[in-house]
Amino acid sequence: MFEFIPGRIGQAVLLVFVLLAVFVGSRIALRRRIKARPIHGIDRLEEWIKEAGKLDRCVFFTPGTGGVGSTDTLAALALLRYVARLCVRHNVKLIVANADLNVQQVTEEIVKSAYAKARKLGKYSVDSVRYISGSVFAYAAGVMGLLRRERPALNFFVGLFSAESLAIAEAGRSEALYQFAGTSSIDQLPFFLATCDVTLLAGELYAAQSYLTKDQQDISWTVGQDAGKVIALLLILIGTILVSLGNDIILNFLKF
Amino acid sequence: MAAKRKMSRWEIILQAAIFTVGFFYAVTYYVKVSEPIDLQMVADNSLAYLTAMILTAFAIGIINLTRIHWRNIKLRRADWKFSLVLIGSLYGMAIFSIIASPFALDPRGFIIPSWLIDVISPVWNFLYYNVLVSINTSIFSLLAFFIASAAYRAFKIRTMESTILLIAGLLVIIGEAPISDLIWPGFSAIQNWIMLVPNTAGQRGILIGAALSIVAFSVRRMIRYS
Repeated sequence: MFEFIPGRIGQAVLLVFVLLAVFVGSRIALRRRIKARPIHGIDRLEEWIKEAGKLDRCVFFTPGTGGVGSTDTLAALALLRYVARLCVRHNVKLIVANADLNVQQVTEEIVKSAYAKARKLGKYSVDSVRYISGSVFAYAAGVMGLLRRERPALNFFVGLFSAESLAIAEAGRSEALYQFAGTSSIDQLPFFLATCDVTLLAGELYAAQSYLTKDQQDISWTVGQDAGKVIALLLILIGTILVSLGNDIILNFLKF
Repeated sequence: MAAKRKMSRWEIILQAAIFTVGFFYAVTYYVKVSEPIDLQMVADNSLAYLTAMILTAFAIGIINLTRIHWRNIKLRRADWKFSLVLIGSLYGMAIFSIIASPFALDPRGFIIPSWLIDVISPVWNFLYYNVLVSINTSIFSLLAFFIASAAYRAFKIRTMESTILLIAGLLVIIGEAPISDLIWPGFSAIQNWIMLVPNTAGQRGILIGAALSIVAFSVRRMIRYS
């Protein structure tokens, strides 16, 4: 027996349209070799890591408190791969603090493989990737202590965050030269914007990986997302006009 | 442009698995299939197994904590005493929780002697409610001071954006204060407008962008290995 779940048919149709727009947009971007707009500050990462190396200070990275299922965490892991590679290249100690046990395993593997690829596995230390706690405030306290003891020159707060974001970003601010943040948690964005030098806002975080790898296929896919955003904007505009005129057709379609 | 890497056989298998699972869950969200197999039930059960698998990873966290902090103690590294407190608290609390807590293994005292449960129970209650909860509350209350210092830093920067932020922030603070209506009733109306119009518009803009990016990111993960 096969049937559509009532109330989700409109959503399914909309999803297909948006995905189609993203796909067509990305094919056009790939054919025309359209470049992604520069993301402020992301180009300076290597320079900052080099500076940390010159000062003989470490780099700190947290992928947030989300699990591996969260897209923010996946984007953070992609960025960690890039940061770990740079840290290994410039002989800078990297410390990763985790709040999720599955993320802990993945980050351990990412950092270890960065050392292995550079044939420097002997330099990998067990305490590079640490599990702090699954409880938000215990994690905040652990990271605050870690930042005070290790005095990293560059801090990365990338991923999904909740109440601990401001505590750790403020604790890091007092010692770090630079702070880099990225999240889609709207409630935490103002805190990062106030305490960090560079903050990636939601979509920028997901685009960071393709921007850093310079992979044209990834970039075109990112550019293609804008086609989906155009559809969303058009729907909002048309919906606002129609509802103002007393017509609920779009509302009813989305509830269908 | 980065050179395109050929996927290994293992990566192809992994990618196929990612696509199948992702597609399966997307389909079960929109379509109900009850015969010959109840797909919704399969999806729910798989999620339950996933939760069980995630819980088994708990041991890895304990092993990691023990390895790092035991090394700190053994090598007498700086602040090794904190590591000692951590190891003691971790295992101490785990043992107390197994003996006497709402999650105790043998609450009726079949194997663990009842007198031991009676002795440990008030200790566990003290450690949980008087120590752990209080520490959590203390860390949470620190946020008030962090907000003040972060706001001070944001307002100190002399740019057009920070000036707008400062004015908007002050108007919202005054509007929220109980005394604002006595000073000028317009403060509440301004505060409401700032929170409901520019604030909501900005938040929704970010939300729509993030939601679309999540959809595109998830589909990209499903169809392309990275």
